[in-house]
Amino acid sequence: MIGVIYKREILDHLKSAKFLIGFGLTIAIAAAATVINTQDYGRRRQDYRAAQRDLQGNKFDILIYRPPEILSILVQGKDRALGNKASINYLNIPDRLTGYMSARRGARPKSISGFGSVDFAFLVRVILSLLVIFLAYDAVAEEKQSGTLKLALANALPRSSLLIGKAAAGLTVVLGSLLAAASVAGLIMMVHPAVDLSGADAVRILSLVAVSALYLTVFYMLSLLVSTAVKRPAIALMVLLQLWIFLVVVYPHLGVSIAENFFRLPTDREMAEKKQAAFAPYDEELKKVQERYYKGDMSPAGGGRYVELQAMRSRLENDVNREFGLRLSAQEGLARWISVLSPAALYSTAAEQYARTGIGEYERFMESIERYWKTKYMDLQMLRFKDLAAYRKAAVPAFEHPAEPTSEAWAATAPQVLVLTLLALIFFAAASTAFIRKDVR
Amino acid sequence: MKTIIYREIKDHIQSLQFVVLLLFAVVLFAANGIVFARKFQTENAAYSATASRFQPDTRFVYLTWQPNPILFLAEGGDLDRPTSYYLYSMGYFNASAPRPRDYKLPDIPKLDWSFIIKTVFSLYVVLLGYAAVCGEKEQGTLRLVLSNPVGRVRFLAAKYAAILAVALIPLTVGCVVSLGILGVSLPQILTWGLASRVLALLALSAAYLSLFAFLSLLVSSVMRRSSLALLALLAAWVFFAVLIPDTSGILAEKLAKVQSDYDAAKSIGPMVEKEVWAKIARLQTRIDKGELKTEETVKVEAGKAFQEGQEKVRFFERSYDDSVAARAGLARSLARISPVALFQYAAEDLAGSGVGREAALREDLQAYARQFDAYVLKKNGKLVGQSNWSFSTQVKLGGKAIQVESPRTEAYRGDMSDFPRFVERAPRLGEGVKAAAGDIAGLLLWNIVLAVAAFGAFLKTDVR
Repeated sequence: MIGVIYKREILDHLKSAKFLIGFGLTIAIAAAATVINTQDYGRRRQDYRAAQRDLQGNKFDILIYRPPEILSILVQGKDRALGNKASINYLNIPDRLTGYMSARRGARPKSISGFGSVDFAFLVRVILSLLVIFLAYDAVAEEKQSGTLKLALANALPRSSLLIGKAAAGLTVVLGSLLAAASVAGLIMMVHPAVDLSGADAVRILSLVAVSALYLTVFYMLSLLVSTAVKRPAIALMVLLQLWIFLVVVYPHLGVSIAENFFRLPTDREMAEKKQAAFAPYDEELKKVQERYYKGDMSPAGGGRYVELQAMRSRLENDVNREFGLRLSAQEGLARWISVLSPAALYSTAAEQYARTGIGEYERFMESIERYWKTKYMDLQMLRFKDLAAYRKAAVPAFEHPAEPTSEAWAATAPQVLVLTLLALIFFAAASTAFIRKDVR
Repeated sequence: MKTIIYREIKDHIQSLQFVVLLLFAVVLFAANGIVFARKFQTENAAYSATASRFQPDTRFVYLTWQPNPILFLAEGGDLDRPTSYYLYSMGYFNASAPRPRDYKLPDIPKLDWSFIIKTVFSLYVVLLGYAAVCGEKEQGTLRLVLSNPVGRVRFLAAKYAAILAVALIPLTVGCVVSLGILGVSLPQILTWGLASRVLALLALSAAYLSLFAFLSLLVSSVMRRSSLALLALLAAWVFFAVLIPDTSGILAEKLAKVQSDYDAAKSIGPMVEKEVWAKIARLQTRIDKGELKTEETVKVEAGKAFQEGQEKVRFFERSYDDSVAARAGLARSLARISPVALFQYAAEDLAGSGVGREAALREDLQAYARQFDAYVLKKNGKLVGQSNWSFSTQVKLGGKAIQVESPRTEAYRGDMSDFPRFVERAPRLGEGVKAAAGDIAGLLLWNIVLAVAAFGAFLKTDVR
């Protein structure tokens, strides 16, 4: 019996004007956004490669470039905004990336027109979730209003079967649209010469599609619940749209706003004072060895000690910066906690994690830089005072940034996936209960 | 006509949409008041602290300017721009620290009035208006109403007036809430100047929301079913409010024929370095030939070479800044296809924030830079051009190594009580309105076009 209902419902959906409008829009946006973002990625990758080739530092000032993330085509996240270059020497462990230009000028403004970006994640978060509402708001309410619910249930048809059949059909249509959009995006990416997807990328894209499906399921179940609980379809639609505006637009904004404004961060001045205080005990010594170094004393106790002390200052300052970075992470965590019940915020976090365009990946990159500085870079600098001939021969050590294993991304997104699953289950359970108790006359 | 308007308003006020919109308006505008009052207090405290620490110095000036107290109307990206610059002689500026500091938070628009109105209110106008015609048709009441001696034009005008009036009620309430909170925490900002800006912004908002009302009526007259009309309207909303503005940035980067961040970095670094060292190499040859004999002449010649290098750096950085500005300008022009962007940019102009404010500030800073240069010239007797780069190397003169470096401005030790202070011009409303005139005209044009289309469609509609 469920099979019959399932088939009927799917046919109804596919024939409906709202599905055709929504589906057309989805595919059009998926295609346009992917084409634009792929070209943009290609351009950024070209710049990155050219920079690596043409803008090299020397043994003292080493320039490290961050490649654009390939999956930023699908989920822009912070990839464009966080910068491409770190310039390191023993006087400084960078705490932020800059643009190709210097720290002062190259820091890219968030977006140059004052708005955000359109990508696959946006399509799912905003457009498809709206489409889901339009497909599901009348699932029960419409049949009740037109009287067909009474007729359907007059047959030997358990209520649970009817609801499951409807839910399964609706979800099939929704997830089918999602898959179609994802396929269009995937095809465009594969055809484009600038894109070179690895196996891990493919797994990540699949994870992204899976979490998108989960997110849309939450909205579907919510719509089913409202459609069951409310008498008239028009009212169900209104209620759902208000919920959508709240969950997608208002709630995540309030979360970030609260974290932004009610989380105290140390001021620049406080940080500067802290840095100064940390190095104060060595100030005298530094002055002495600095003189020896400037006079050309290259012995380990002279120039060597000078570089060592400067490096120590960099480390101490870096500790203060890291502490600040931890405060920023805590601030971001607070925003995430406040928005923990917003499916849109949960989805964004998970999607950025899979696409490696979130703040987590950026932090990993900065850790790699710190590690590189503390080991390979400083070893090379000290070599100059131990064995000058060996230093002259030595090449600039290669910078390595190990890719995040996909399993780690899964582990990191487990909380988001769990809450989304719970929300979907709770909404479905509530919808079933409401439907079983519903007065169908 | 009055009866219809009155009835419509009553119906709307009892609807769920209206109640929720009122709720959202109160919550969002209250949040706006609290957030921006806090922000202004922090920024202002920081500003006063730096202003009190000011010490005249001919090497560089640390420049800050007063935070804008009415940023809550339309923030326009101002909170992410640098709040201070170091100014060196020959008009060289360096931003003091990159912003935003809390860069780990998700990028979301600031909760200013323009965001609340352009996003939440425009959506609700759509929700209030989508069923105006086709909803009545579905219920069969449209036929009944029009069988009375009510003209179609009057009927639609009444609907329009009711939608707009109902949307403006929560807007006014919200604005009062926000102003109330701001007034309690920052009583000094409640001035007539602010009142006129608020009124101007409200008028702008009315024009903006009005075009969504016309759009809703148009779609509602064309479509048969109200749920489809709503879907089409939401699609249009997403198109105008999100798709066009959000893709304009990326498109501008593609279309703009100006150098990219990377191109600029590439032209500046290696090129300048090569040129400078080539000049130093020529200097060495001249020394070897015996043209330069004393240490002093060598240093003067090297200084000249380095100065030319600095001049090049400054030129490249200026042209990079110009290309960033050009790209932003192109992105904004592209975004202006959408009325949402027209509203946003006009609101920024009225609030004295955004790109207009940045340009005005740059003018003020440049005017001050000239003053500073004149002062340094008076005190030090010469001007030295600097940049982020500094050059130093050794040349050999008769077997002796001489350290040559790019020259720097010296610190003047004498009396500096007449040191010029930086004062920025306060943004004037008149200038803002003038700057916003094009965008406002665009919004009005949208209104006219959509109004004609809506009335045209409704007059031809089959009401059965």
